[in-house]
Amino acid sequence: MRRRERMMEDLDRDIREHIEMETQDNIERGMSPEEARYAAVRKFGNVTRVKEETREVWSFIWLEQFMQDIRYALRMLRKSPGFTAVAVLTLALGIGANTAIFSMVNSVLLRPLAYRQSQQLYLVREIIPELSQTYPTLPTNLPNFRVWKRECHSFEDVAIVEPWSMTLSGYSEAEQISGGRASANLFDVLGVVPELGRTFLPQEDTPGKDQVVVLTDSFWRDRFHADPAIVGRSITLDGQPFQVVGILPAFFRFPRAAQLGAYIEFASRVDYFKPLGLDPAHFSQIGEFDFAAIARLKPGTGVGQALAELNVIQARIARDAKQGMDLRAEMIPLESEVVGTARRGLLLLLAGVGAVLLIVCMNLASLLLVRVPSRAREAGIRTALGASRGRLARQLLTESGLLATLGGVLGIGFAYFGLRWLVAVAPADLPRLDEVRLDARTLWFAAFVSVLTGILFGVLPAWRVAHAEPQQALKAGTTTTTESRPARHLRESLIGFEVGVGTLLLIIAGLLTTSMVRLVGIDKGFTTEHVLAVDVSLPPQSYTQPQQKDEFYDNVLARVRALPGVSSAGWISKLPLEGQEQVDGIIVPGRSRTVLQALVANYRYVSPGYFQSIGIPLRQGHVIEQAERDRHVAVISESVAKKLWPGENPLGKQFRPGLDPQMPLTEVIGIVADIRTVALDEPPLLMVYLPSKVGLYTWSGAHASLVVRAGTLPAALGAAVRGAIQNVDPGVPIDYLRPMAEIVSESVGVRRFQMVLASLFAVFALLLAALGIYGVVAYSVAQRRQELGIRMTFGARGPDLRNMVMLQGMLPVVAGWAAGVLAALVASRVIQGLLFGVTPRDPLTIVSVTLVVLFTGAVACYVPAARTTKLDPMAALRYE
Amino acid sequence: MSTKEQKERIELLQGTLDLLILRTLLLGPAHGHAIAKAIEFRSDDVLQVEQGSLYPALHRLIKRGWISVEEGTSENNRRAKFYRLTTKGRRQLAVETSKWDKLAGAIAQILRPVEQEGKP
Repeated sequence: MRRRERMMEDLDRDIREHIEMETQDNIERGMSPEEARYAAVRKFGNVTRVKEETREVWSFIWLEQFMQDIRYALRMLRKSPGFTAVAVLTLALGIGANTAIFSMVNSVLLRPLAYRQSQQLYLVREIIPELSQTYPTLPTNLPNFRVWKRECHSFEDVAIVEPWSMTLSGYSEAEQISGGRASANLFDVLGVVPELGRTFLPQEDTPGKDQVVVLTDSFWRDRFHADPAIVGRSITLDGQPFQVVGILPAFFRFPRAAQLGAYIEFASRVDYFKPLGLDPAHFSQIGEFDFAAIARLKPGTGVGQALAELNVIQARIARDAKQGMDLRAEMIPLESEVVGTARRGLLLLLAGVGAVLLIVCMNLASLLLVRVPSRAREAGIRTALGASRGRLARQLLTESGLLATLGGVLGIGFAYFGLRWLVAVAPADLPRLDEVRLDARTLWFAAFVSVLTGILFGVLPAWRVAHAEPQQALKAGTTTTTESRPARHLRESLIGFEVGVGTLLLIIAGLLTTSMVRLVGIDKGFTTEHVLAVDVSLPPQSYTQPQQKDEFYDNVLARVRALPGVSSAGWISKLPLEGQEQVDGIIVPGRSRTVLQALVANYRYVSPGYFQSIGIPLRQGHVIEQAERDRHVAVISESVAKKLWPGENPLGKQFRPGLDPQMPLTEVIGIVADIRTVALDEPPLLMVYLPSKVGLYTWSGAHASLVVRAGTLPAALGAAVRGAIQNVDPGVPIDYLRPMAEIVSESVGVRRFQMVLASLFAVFALLLAALGIYGVVAYSVAQRRQELGIRMTFGARGPDLRNMVMLQGMLPVVAGWAAGVLAALVASRVIQGLLFGVTPRDPLTIVSVTLVVLFTGAVACYVPAARTTKLDPMAALRYE
Repeated sequence: MSTKEQKERIELLQGTLDLLILRTLLLGPAHGHAIAKAIEFRSDDVLQVEQGSLYPALHRLIKRGWISVEEGTSENNRRAKFYRLTTKGRRQLAVETSKWDKLAGAIAQILRPVEQEGKP
């Protein structure tokens, strides 16, 4: 196209020159200049028409040839509808799957945060080297943040934020809303401009001036019907008026769960933000590490330089604090922290789906190669008639390109529906999952992949056809008895490759499945059958006194226990698998361990009935009874008992629950089994259970979860429990109500997602490979009819021939299988991180995959090979 | 159909002009005006080419790779584009010439008997 532009520009000059020269000639012949020019122009003819005709030269041929190729290709594809259907369908599945997975990768990995220059943003965590055994890194504390903001010159700015829930009232039912409490500059640091109104002013960090909120777009839409007039008005939060000052843009997302590092957990849904409103005088320099700090580096400043500067500041803070502790810091790119562990799994899926597409290409290439001899004859005729090789190759590539385009268009359709399914089954903790969709970038990707596949599977057959010797091709068509050796080897290696990739995918899928089975079957320490869990939050404005909270919890318990079908019920401050909370040391009086060497446990506050309800078995002693609720007693997990009192009877022993020396001495009354607290694939943590009486220890009683065990779990139980809670107080919001099994299932969501997709790809790959094997063997039987006929007339029996064909067909299958197993062994280090309870070289998985692959290969070979037994030697010899 | 007839006629004419251009360039590279002059001169002005129609033909030949184009200076020191026969074009000239000879021979054969019939 550019060549044409250039040619046309040159033409103008050329014509001017031409007329100029002719005029000059005429003048030399004695004409007056005016006459000479007129004669020259007349002789040249119509300049515009000349230009038009020349332009046509450059456009027409190209376009016409292309249209010709397309028409021809369409005719060829119509002529073999079976091949066309298989090709377009497998391509569509391959391209569709790739597009769908790519759009997930695109949203989740490539643009996890829509903040301004988000690569400049770093999460800052504090490190206390003395505590790093138990807490490798800590969130940030308020006074240190103030020092950094003032003194660290590598930062353009730094902001802090912590999860913060409040109760919204005044609009029908009271509702617990979750969000964050942030320094006023948070949105400046992130580079987020509000859609409406403003964000926070610097003075709003001060206590008393902090009663303003910024709402997220989704909350504003759901709760206030996107009413712009809400900006400037007041809403009631925790019984206090807060002025809505701004609405965040719809694309704003905030990291959720522990994406801002351990010990900071944001809810999956962020509704609002409020300014800090904290007095730094109430905070100590070493303690209350509660905030996520997000720093924006100055342009051109390296992270190493920033960290060095920060560590100097930290060392000085530690010296000034005179607590005998050192202080350091760590900086983590915000994006990688948000994407976290999702990266490896998604990349694995992308590689897997890419491998499937590769197999699709191989398969089509081998199907096209089968047609090479017949096409070569046609090509031979055309070469003899003067067609160039390039032209022939172009025409064949047009055919594969057309197939790929059809596959691509259909594939985008598949991707659209596939994506809906993916988003539905994907684990909820994948970042930005809700934004995954087919966007422009994804469509470009689909187009690119389509073109690439078209070239990939088309180029080899096209090359072979175009380079067929015309005479050879014309001659060979009628008399050949055996296929040419290189052609067969080429197809066999394609089959081998397909089987190899398929085997590798199957092994990975098998390992992921085994991991999943092991993980789900692991001893969690508690049971989930017939167990319902309900989370509630008490609105602080109506529950100001500890006994109000105790009464509420007791009343609910009494009502729920009275419900028909309920066998037991109990409260706990935080459910298993919902993360760590209330992590503190255990101090045993009289032990010489220093504070820093103390064991660290997760503390939970439980009511009577909790252990029975969730099914944590009692090992020794007894659980907390109603009568002991006011006493300083504790139930500890087995590993706490083993670590603190090895070889002794822990019952009756005393300890202080927490590093604070004010903590009352507490007596061990029971020992229960260990449980998986954080995740099924993480070993049990040390657990200490204290009575759930507000004020007895440090429990505020603001949130709690009710665990209900029923004989069976009728669908109506949920509604009945909800009714019982609202009967006690309709003003208490119920945050979640779901079976315990769902919590467990959600906690392994990422693994299940990987397993399901990997298995899907592997099965698809295996089926494709089987199709390829079948095609090649069937073709070779058809091609060797004469040869087989001759063998039969010389006494070979049908079954002998069948076995021979099968053996030859299985050769590339076995070679491919061996290569696939080898690749899996080599890749084992990459896969390792995704597995649980199974080594990447698990013999059982490899043996099972071997059986599946060889069996599938054998079936795919047997079906066409069996035809040889029905071969009539006479007919075969006469064939063609 | 009339369009088809017209197309064939044009193609025949184009083919002839192409052949003449290739033949002219066999003597060496030349610019557009010189080619037009040469064709007129060598055919003793019998073939009066409308000079402009030379250009679509030249571009067609470039497109097919039979001639190439380069910048140069004409005899009276003007910048001009020179067209040069390529190896591919040289081969094509041989093919076209023999085709033309065959065609001319065939036409002659067809025409001669008509002439004889015409004068009894």
